Amino acid sequence: MTAPSRREVLIGAAAAGLLVAAKPVWAKPFDGAAWRDYAQRFLLPEGRIVDSGNKGVSHSEGQGYGMLLAEAADDRAAFDRLWGWTQRNLMVREDGLAAWRWQPEGGVTDRNNASDGDILIAWALLRGAERWKAEAYRTAAAAILKALAAAVVVEQAGMTVLLPGRDGFRKGDSLVLNPSYWVFPALRAFAAQPGGAVWGKLADSGLVLLSKARFGGFQLPPDWLSLDPQGNATVAEGFRKQYGYDAVRVPLYLAWDGYRDPYYFRPFAMLAARYAGTAIPATVSLPGGTTTQVAASVGMLAVYRLTCLIASTGNAVTVPPFGPNEDYYSTTLAHMAALAAQSLGFEP
Amino acid sequence: MMRLAVPLLGALMVVPLVAAPVALAQSGPGGRALAPGVKVEVAPAPGSGTAPQPGTVDETALRYYARIGDVERLEAEIARLRALDPSWDPPKDLFAPQPVTSGVDESPFWTLVSAGKFAEARAAIAEQRRKTPSWQPSAKLLQELDLAEGSGRLRSASDTKRWQDVVDAAAAQPEAVACNRLDNAWRLAEAYAELKQTDRAFDTYKTVVSQCPSAKERRDTIFKASRYLSPAQLRELTALGATANPAPGEDYASVRAAEAELETGRLLERAGNAKGNLSATELAQVETTVRERRDADSAISLGWYFQSRKQYALAQSWFSEANGWTPSDRAAEGLILAYNGLGKKAEAREAGAPWRGTSSRVDQALKAVDPPRGSSGGARPGPQGPSELDRTLARRDFAGCLVAVQSAIAKGGKTAALVQQRGWCLLELKRPSEAEAAFVEAQALAAREPAPKTPAQNPSAAARAARDAATAGAITPPTATRAQENAYGQTVARMAAGDTVGVNRDLPRLNITAAQKAEIRASLLATEANRALEDMRYRDALRLLDARKELETEPRNLSILRGWALYNLFRFDEAYKVFKGVDDRLSTEESREGVLTTWKTIYHDW
Repeated sequence: MTAPSRREVLIGAAAAGLLVAAKPVWAKPFDGAAWRDYAQRFLLPEGRIVDSGNKGVSHSEGQGYGMLLAEAADDRAAFDRLWGWTQRNLMVREDGLAAWRWQPEGGVTDRNNASDGDILIAWALLRGAERWKAEAYRTAAAAILKALAAAVVVEQAGMTVLLPGRDGFRKGDSLVLNPSYWVFPALRAFAAQPGGAVWGKLADSGLVLLSKARFGGFQLPPDWLSLDPQGNATVAEGFRKQYGYDAVRVPLYLAWDGYRDPYYFRPFAMLAARYAGTAIPATVSLPGGTTTQVAASVGMLAVYRLTCLIASTGNAVTVPPFGPNEDYYSTTLAHMAALAAQSLGFEP
Repeated sequence: MMRLAVPLLGALMVVPLVAAPVALAQSGPGGRALAPGVKVEVAPAPGSGTAPQPGTVDETALRYYARIGDVERLEAEIARLRALDPSWDPPKDLFAPQPVTSGVDESPFWTLVSAGKFAEARAAIAEQRRKTPSWQPSAKLLQELDLAEGSGRLRSASDTKRWQDVVDAAAAQPEAVACNRLDNAWRLAEAYAELKQTDRAFDTYKTVVSQCPSAKERRDTIFKASRYLSPAQLRELTALGATANPAPGEDYASVRAAEAELETGRLLERAGNAKGNLSATELAQVETTVRERRDADSAISLGWYFQSRKQYALAQSWFSEANGWTPSDRAAEGLILAYNGLGKKAEAREAGAPWRGTSSRVDQALKAVDPPRGSSGGARPGPQGPSELDRTLARRDFAGCLVAVQSAIAKGGKTAALVQQRGWCLLELKRPSEAEAAFVEAQALAAREPAPKTPAQNPSAAARAARDAATAGAITPPTATRAQENAYGQTVARMAAGDTVGVNRDLPRLNITAAQKAEIRASLLATEANRALEDMRYRDALRLLDARKELETEPRNLSILRGWALYNLFRFDEAYKVFKGVDDRLSTEESREGVLTTWKTIYHDW
């Protein structure tokens, strides 16, 4: 059991009912109040983020997002609790990476890592080191980066790519990759560290990969793709052949990193435009284009709104307020989209 | 709107692919101009819509062609720009990297585009735009990329039979469907046909054959279209292709001939069917076309048509024609049997000489010329017509062969050669157990018979061998001896009866030629692969097929088997490729089933 399936449980927790707003509204900015609300709902006192859509488990991705939000809200106490819990409970592997999943009963139930979780944690540590002038965080981040580079950064077809986890993503000569694990602003921060050249290469290859991995009528990236030794990208076998809960983060990270080329944002904006006035589907099968009945969540809509602004397709996406039980993933995405927009100077 | 951009008489014709072919839509005034096969924006500023002012010539395309070293297009572009602005001269620094007004040099992107690295070019452009938000790539650069990617989308949709996506991709990128991208136009027409929009398919084909200047391409298009269009539509298409918009220096006679060739194909197919008789008119039509095209395959088909009607002289002339146009053992085989039918044994042997010992079909045919006659050898007195056995073999009448062998034995006694011939005929009749018994008996008889004369003892045979070597090239494999032939026949019969384990065990010790050993080994591997598939040992099946491929080209039935092995290993993409390859060569029920099943599995389209 590896990271791939964790989004599937989220289906059904998405929002609907976004047709009534008279004029486009932006998701709320991420501020102290937003953080306090987030922490109250998803951060347990011992320092773990609960994935409310996934039976209350915790995982390295959630810890990373939590630390990023705590840093952005300048809540060092919460940040330390999150990092402490992560070290004690997830950093149980001998290679310095985090086990990806922890369950209330049984603790770590899958020791494989999820590379995006490690990346988010390391990025949060670097940001924390900057904000609070805490070298210990930087040292910890450097150790994670070293471990990542050794375990999951590999070469394929002249590209530098990221294995989604250390184990289980080589299928014969091909690699199974997850485009949404390229957290571009994090990779840029890593590349600025001593000896960080490999992260720059990884980011460069990520852009190439995203140009290769466009499928179906909307030319969307798949949640999971397969990259063969000749550099051909196909929708991966053995996973749901779709664009969805994972790949929606692709435009978020690109935007956050300052990319502006409409070519990279148009697929997502076109999808949003196609379903303007009705519900944007949460997933689109690739390459067939069959959409799910489930609507995109509030967090996903926040990403689409940002994307449409950058793609200049002229359509605006309405982002409704959170529902009373908005789940962890939707809420997190919405806050991430707000952070990205704020860092880019967009008006909330 | 789908359009086909083609060069024509110095003005760009933008032709709606869905409209009637004669209704050429001229582009807007001054909006676009022509470079061979490429549509060029003269005025890149959106909405400018007028011809450029002198001194404001857009040299983007020019620089692109210079960069990629496409001299032909470069010259055409220079001529075009001169025509637009007579005062204009080509820049002196055409081959130097160009700084652009925004301070961004586009040449690295063009280098990537020229190398076909479109994804890398996109990535580099995005990175540049991140660093220099004020910069925009030139319209020409984006156009080149859109075109390349649009073509890629169209092809990929077509490869995976997503027909509506093919149509959509063409609509989104009309320039991707043009005479210089003829394959895309064919794929679009095919998509329409598969979507049962036959009129649109027809229109697309009509546009191609009336707008694309190359006679060969028009002709190829007619053959492509023959799969989807009715004979009446094909006639219309041919007439159009032979006359519409002729380009100087192109000879469209071959286009007109396409219709007759298609008809010939249909007639030959009919002729090949059991007792399909052709009328004198039809025969004359077929013969004319085959001669005009010097089509060896069709000539061979005609040869068999006459051979099966015992019109040996006609058969001989067609096999001769075929062999003259394109020498092959298939032509030689027919020629041997036709000469034999005419009683011209010397000519028959001569026809087989270049292939003797290297082609089993020629060796088989030669047996009809010199059927084993036991100890009497070649000592029959005086010339005589073909024996009953010869005639049955010439007719490929293998049941008759058994009767003839029986009567020959009744007349002249049992010989190794006669019994061996009986073995071959039994094999042809798919009675391998009896065939094996015959070969065993022949071997026993041969052991008691005196050895046949060797070339060294026979000057004429030695001379013949020397001539063979000269004809067939320096390396002539040693001809099998009679004992080897028996062992070989016996082995083939044992395999046909299913005794692969035994044959496998005995193979190294068998007294047969190396070529025969390789053939048997290939056959064994195929049998084992079949068995592995039945036992659901798919990896083994692939391993065996791979080993066999080292020895011989993989025949169609084994490729199908390979496809199913891959399918069962969940290697769907590979399985699809295999089935598609087979189906593209010749589409049959079983290849279509493979393609369809795999495709449905890949796309969950049950």
